[in-house]
Amino acid sequence: MKRRSLMQGGALAAVLAMTGGVAVAQEAEKKIIGVAIPSATHGFMGGLNWHAQDTIKRLGAAYPNLEFVLSTAGNSAKQVNDIEDMMATRNIDALVVLPFESEPLTAPIKAVKEAGKFVTVVDRGLSEEGIEDLYVAGDNTAFGRVAGEYFKANLKPGAKIVVLRGIPTTLDNERVEAFQKALDGSQIEILDMQHGNWNRDDAFNVMQDYLSKYPQIDAVWAADDDMAIGVMEAIAAAKRQDEMWVIGGAGMKDIVKRIMDGDKQLPVDVTYPPALISSALEMTALHFVSNAPMTGRFIIGSQLITPENAAKFYYPDSPF
Amino acid sequence: MSVLALDNVSKSFGPVTVLHGIDIALEPGEVHALIGENGAGKSTIMKLLGGFLDPTEGQVLLDGKPVRFASGPDAEAQGIVVIHQEFNLARDLSVAANVFLGREPGGWRLDHKAMQEATAALLRRLDSPISPDALVGDLSVPDRQMVEIAKALSRNARVLIMDEPSAVLTHREVGALYDQILRLREQGVAILYCSHRLDEVAHLADRITVLRDGRVVRRAARGELTQDGMASAMVGRELQDFYPPKGQPSGDIALELRGLSVPGRVHDISLTLHRGEVLGIAGLVGSGRTELAEGIAGLRSSSGEIRIDGQPATIRSARDGFAHGLAYLTEDRKEAGLLLEKPLRENLTLAALERFGSWRIDASAEDAALDRATQDFDIRAPRRDMPAGKLSGGNQQKLLLAKTMLTEPRILIIDEPTRGIDVGTKSQIYAFIRQLATQGLSVIVISSEMPEVIGLADRVLVMREGRLAGELQGAALTEDNIVRLAMGVGEAA
Amino acid sequence: MKKIDFHTLGPLIALIALIVLGTLLNSAFLAPANITNVLARSAFIGLIAVGMTFVITAGGLDLSVGSMAAFLAGLAIIAMNALAPSLGVHWGTILIGMGVAILGGLAAGYLNGALITKARIEPFIVTLGTMGIFRSLITWLADGGTLSLDSGLRTLYRPVYYGGIGWLTWPILCFAAVAIAGEWSMRHSRFGRHVEAIGSNDRVARYSAIDVNRVRLMTYVLLGMLVGLAVVLYVPRLGSASGSTGVLWELEAIAAVIIGGTALKGGRGRVWGTVMGVLILSLIDNILNLANLVSPYLNGAIQGVIIVLAVVLQREKHAASER
Repeated sequence: MKRRSLMQGGALAAVLAMTGGVAVAQEAEKKIIGVAIPSATHGFMGGLNWHAQDTIKRLGAAYPNLEFVLSTAGNSAKQVNDIEDMMATRNIDALVVLPFESEPLTAPIKAVKEAGKFVTVVDRGLSEEGIEDLYVAGDNTAFGRVAGEYFKANLKPGAKIVVLRGIPTTLDNERVEAFQKALDGSQIEILDMQHGNWNRDDAFNVMQDYLSKYPQIDAVWAADDDMAIGVMEAIAAAKRQDEMWVIGGAGMKDIVKRIMDGDKQLPVDVTYPPALISSALEMTALHFVSNAPMTGRFIIGSQLITPENAAKFYYPDSPF
Repeated sequence: MSVLALDNVSKSFGPVTVLHGIDIALEPGEVHALIGENGAGKSTIMKLLGGFLDPTEGQVLLDGKPVRFASGPDAEAQGIVVIHQEFNLARDLSVAANVFLGREPGGWRLDHKAMQEATAALLRRLDSPISPDALVGDLSVPDRQMVEIAKALSRNARVLIMDEPSAVLTHREVGALYDQILRLREQGVAILYCSHRLDEVAHLADRITVLRDGRVVRRAARGELTQDGMASAMVGRELQDFYPPKGQPSGDIALELRGLSVPGRVHDISLTLHRGEVLGIAGLVGSGRTELAEGIAGLRSSSGEIRIDGQPATIRSARDGFAHGLAYLTEDRKEAGLLLEKPLRENLTLAALERFGSWRIDASAEDAALDRATQDFDIRAPRRDMPAGKLSGGNQQKLLLAKTMLTEPRILIIDEPTRGIDVGTKSQIYAFIRQLATQGLSVIVISSEMPEVIGLADRVLVMREGRLAGELQGAALTEDNIVRLAMGVGEAA
Repeated sequence: MKKIDFHTLGPLIALIALIVLGTLLNSAFLAPANITNVLARSAFIGLIAVGMTFVITAGGLDLSVGSMAAFLAGLAIIAMNALAPSLGVHWGTILIGMGVAILGGLAAGYLNGALITKARIEPFIVTLGTMGIFRSLITWLADGGTLSLDSGLRTLYRPVYYGGIGWLTWPILCFAAVAIAGEWSMRHSRFGRHVEAIGSNDRVARYSAIDVNRVRLMTYVLLGMLVGLAVVLYVPRLGSASGSTGVLWELEAIAAVIIGGTALKGGRGRVWGTVMGVLILSLIDNILNLANLVSPYLNGAIQGVIIVLAVVLQREKHAASER
């Protein structure tokens, strides 16, 4: 079942086919892989943490010569410290990092690379190109575009929608810009865009205010499944469920379940799977246990989850 | 010629004149002792000399020329250093940092090494084992005194003004202090030495000035005055008749202490207090009087036995005290007595709130209590809703008395009942205290003002260094005898 | 009293100004639905801020309330989910969940208070520590994700947030009741008087036979229970708790208390002012969402300016009245 997380990226399938056969425990020297990711402060990161721990446990069992050092950080400075500590005290051979922020982490990660280590960067690109050996990321542009295309296809011209934005970051900007671009020419009106900070409570408050402010809302792009839950509560409290539908994002299990069950209010979802950390970890591990070159950029595209394909995206065990 | 002198100086605070035409001259190479009772005007003289106050009349002369110091630091810059009783040290800095505070050597960078070496040299001169690196906050009180002296030395003082420097020192340290004073004298420093310890005055002083009620009453050179003579000169005045007539205490014992001790402060005190009696407790500041009172009232942990009306009583908090009908009226009106920001009503009822409703406070009952209290105790407040801190000292004291009386105590301990209060209010408070005793209360009055304890109390206990030094009553109750007991100068006559 | 007390009136004037501003900017502002929304949302911070008023007035501080709320919400959800199979989906289960939240709040408040009064550690340090502890515990309980209440129980429990008497939903009624009780206690009860006395000068309080430690401890216990009550109302709203629940609630509550005119150094408590402060903070958010006045990036700045301004204005008036 866990293998499926690898399958999601089309690009990865080929990699697996090539290396799957050699991925057996080999007699080799001990390699230490450092993993630095943000701490579980919201649902998506929670899922990402869970997948990271789960994958480390699995890979550790499969390849006894690999050892993983996991650290989570609540801010950039702590993450830099963690990475420096890994270099200084654990003598890591590879670093898998999801940079808390791009700018502050670029120099420290570059230093790791210059020390001759294998570097895998996940999800958030560094501000300088060509540092990492391996780049595994979701596609923020596609995330916004896929959602935008769905709105365009399913709303009549003149329809009115509202948008909830995440925590103000480059990543959020990329998504929103792609979303707006996809709507071009559709004559769909975006009434408002406020920050819900990828937080249920904040999204609930923002949506309540939208509902007070706009008598007509045809659809909501909540852009995140946590925010979608807050948004739907606000809509339910205002008893306007029949008036509008909501699109979240990421692929949270509760949301996927509701799509599977054919919830009218939640027709589809856009993936941005937290499991991409698993892919990054697996590929980094393969670098050490197989002879296949594991370098390059792997973009895991955002897909539309529909009632038809939802089962494929449903992980009941994940906390996310 | 004198280095520093007061020339016919008077000082008034508002309408109150505390110094009248004082002449005092400090000569280089001389130790000049200034003695007098509390309130005689010693500290005002020190503040005038040290540049902290300006005279109302007359002038300060430096090297024979009139001078007006802008501030204490200004005087210090001219070689006049005051060592205060409350130390002016930063507790969280090292000894060396304190010695050089405000005039650190080196440019923008601290020259730690120079500071440490200089401090170490100063401390060696003082024969003190303190490390220059030690934090002042970690030092014992006498060691802090040593640091103060080292700090003064480092300033190349021409005039050194010392306020009770030996009060906190042990015997051995006092020896080092004397040596240092004599050494400074040889170096030509003029030293003004204020002390209650008449033995050390006799030992050290080349010249003695005795103050009483803001006037110089006696000047003497070394050897002219015995310790007895000093005490008589300090005290020698007639009691004024604003004290109410004394009462006749009953034979019933209201409060009995058996071997009460407050760790480190009060040792093995046994006493009895009769119903309707006003018992005075005299002694020097720091002799453990307040600590004894707080020990009885449950505000300090104490050991020993307390019996109230013949029954053993356990008092671990002020609350326990009130439950046994025992109340303590603090000497520290501003910090422990009243909530200065709060209005009169809330202050009045604070200690007895449970008398004004079980859950809900009955505001009208509180108002009625305030009406009664302002009348009974003659509290003069321009507005009822004014904060207590805006009242005059006398009215604050009356409010505090009213507040304490609301708890309906049978035993009342009053610490410094008239500190910082004008004469008129003083006699009112004396009358209140006597009236309470006549009504059957038992009152302990702690006071540093000897006329007050003598005029007010039926019987006086004198404390010295945390112990009872003696008991005085009737004809033996004289200031002279109190001073002897309080200072440990021979037996009471 | 002829003189105007700006400590009491200042926040009220600010609140009225905000309401006028909101009405001018958007007619939907005064719609009953919007008013219900704003008041109900304010209830969580409001309940906590009323408790915080007592803690601050007694000279204390509690930074742990936001994390405590998240932790208690997690505990309550776990308890209810665990009992749902055996007890079934009915009000008994929910009442037990509510009890867990309130008793848990009592225990957490007692822990803070005991560390402060018995172990004599600075309130700032104690609650900074427990803030981290509660936050980690909820993240750990939720396994980094989100704890969700059993859907049957959710449906049953939901009206506790959304229902009520007409437009007065239960959170609004609860907040109003607690605010009135809090104001009454601060003004007219012995407890309130003691709290003010301790914050004003704890030595005077001790010499006046007030059990200073007990009263201090009680303020933290009271605050803990109010956090529990806030959780009772919070859980039915979204039916979930996670590591991001209640983030920064402590600062919002403290800000509301200070805007309301309670002195941060203690000694003067204004529960009505706190209520005003809470409403002011909620309204700022609401108006910024309704009006598109400035870039959403600047919302935080506007709030910050208003908080500082409210306190500065009080200072000025206060200093003037001193003279």
